[in-house]
Amino acid sequence: MTTSTLALAGTTAARSQSMSLATLVGRYAGLLLLACVPLGLTWNDPYWANILAYAYLFAALACAWNIIGGFGGQFSLGHGVFFAIGAYSVARLYLDLGMTPWLAVFPAAALATLVALLISWPTFRLRGPFFAIATMAINEACFALANYTDHLTGGPRGILIPFRAGFWNMIFVERWKYALLTFGFMSIVVLITAVLRRSRLGHYLLAVREDEDSARSAGVDVLRVKLLGMALSAALTGIGGGIFAMYVRVLDPPTLFALPDIGVKFALISLIGGIGTIMGPVVGALLIVPVENFLRGTLGGAIPGGHLIVLGIILVCAALFLKRGIVGEFTGAVRRIRNRKRS
Amino acid sequence: METFLNILISGILLGGIYSLVSIGLNLIFGVVRIINFAQGEFVMLAMYATYFCTTYLGINPYLALFVVAPLMFVFGLAVQRTVLQPLQNEPMMQIFATFGLLILFENSMLALTRGEARSLSGSYSSVLIDVFGLKVSGVRLVVFIVVSGIALALMLFLQRTMPGKAIRAVIQDRQAARLMGVNVERTYLLTFGLGSALAGVAGALLAPIYTLSPYIGGNFILAAFAVVVLGGLGSVPGAYLGGLIVGLIESFSGYYVDPALKQAIWFIVFVAALIIRPSGLMGQVGAEEVGLREQT
Repeated sequence: MTTSTLALAGTTAARSQSMSLATLVGRYAGLLLLACVPLGLTWNDPYWANILAYAYLFAALACAWNIIGGFGGQFSLGHGVFFAIGAYSVARLYLDLGMTPWLAVFPAAALATLVALLISWPTFRLRGPFFAIATMAINEACFALANYTDHLTGGPRGILIPFRAGFWNMIFVERWKYALLTFGFMSIVVLITAVLRRSRLGHYLLAVREDEDSARSAGVDVLRVKLLGMALSAALTGIGGGIFAMYVRVLDPPTLFALPDIGVKFALISLIGGIGTIMGPVVGALLIVPVENFLRGTLGGAIPGGHLIVLGIILVCAALFLKRGIVGEFTGAVRRIRNRKRS
Repeated sequence: METFLNILISGILLGGIYSLVSIGLNLIFGVVRIINFAQGEFVMLAMYATYFCTTYLGINPYLALFVVAPLMFVFGLAVQRTVLQPLQNEPMMQIFATFGLLILFENSMLALTRGEARSLSGSYSSVLIDVFGLKVSGVRLVVFIVVSGIALALMLFLQRTMPGKAIRAVIQDRQAARLMGVNVERTYLLTFGLGSALAGVAGALLAPIYTLSPYIGGNFILAAFAVVVLGGLGSVPGAYLGGLIVGLIESFSGYYVDPALKQAIWFIVFVAALIIRPSGLMGQVGAEEVGLREQT
């Protein structure tokens, strides 16, 4: 696997080097326009606008996870922590200081980054599955802390953000405005990852993923690269958490720290779409979120946990049969056809 | 003084429960190099199987152990063959797969029980035994005695028998073990089966103690991870001792700090172990690195 991915990374690197920034942005803008089509078709229907708002938001969050999890190969299950920090910070800044959420997401992102650096520093000495366990433990520990510090988080009762519609409050009556908001956020995250992917840091992250020891011997400061990737990933996740807070307006620890619904969901969406690809998380989210919503609606009432049974099966099957994800398999197939024509 | 002794005893007994759950996890982890996120759910399934045996077939839960443990052994073999064997050299996909199993088992049981909590009828958990003038929960004492016996038996098995020696050889270096004629794949299968059977034993012994819920696996798995990291990857005595230590820490911090911070305490143990001694109390030094080297 390693050699083929390396070769693959090499060809894409060579190709992206010859592409100017404008072409790159234009190309992804085109793809994003395509992702906007469902919203254009259904914006008037609150049911679909709601699903799309979630899908775009989770696409953005999965893209953010993908920076460290996909490019960097550091399998974090603890992104729920940064998500929750973003959500709580925006809620507190909005409720206590009256700060508009449009600005509050920035201190929230800064706080998420700071926490990410603090907890990553000791855990980055672990590799692969060990890192995954450690981040999962962090998620559970923060869950306990969020329940405990009820003067900050409202404890198990949670925080309720009153409904006061208005642009500066980031609270809207119409669902499609939220969908547009999360779409905008997703677009920004996709463009950031696209630029990052062909930047020096992007190549370093890939080198660390493929072989940490070789990367180190080639002069890459492994810890620094991982920390930078994690910082960026956590900052974007924090902003996503803030937007989530203003959308659902009810924040309680079981929602924010639920592994199958938040922390692992980011990874699952990336896996389905294609880990380490730029558009993969978007494809994954646009597929998984509506499917899950549909299953929740049809199975949820009849069989408790029914939609999660299907989700578990999808997860196992994807790990077994769809390792490169939809986008990964697709680009692989395109490359094979192109090579056949050439030879 | 009596409070102190009571906390000490309850800590040791709680530690016995953690040891029981961790030994299987750690064995699988050390040999097959797979982190089975679903191990807690294996215990949960075994608890429900015990409940079924006791409530519908009228078998005593401690006798049900002899039905449930072999069942879980076969179940473990099936899971290893169908899901984990194909992913042997792909650590990232293993995490996805075992996490998928976790979600699948948890919610399948939720669907089957329709979310009702169950507990074994009968008054097993109220039996108190007098030990040096202190009242001790009988069911928990049984767990402690059995886990001590299991730890000892496993150590003997690993030291003295041929399959045990094969398992130790694979823990040290699977390539070299293969060259010495050890059937590595069969060792994986055997170990995974053993680990699942241990989850079966845990389920049968814990069913009289806890109220059954589909989510109960989550109560054990994080503590078990802390135990594995503390005790040392792949080490049976490490998991046994680590379990006792984590149990004691939880019991004392629950009394002197706050029981609501249980998870945070586990996490502190976890991180402290990682920073001070990443290979754990009894693990091979460097195991935290070796554990991730791709061994083909």
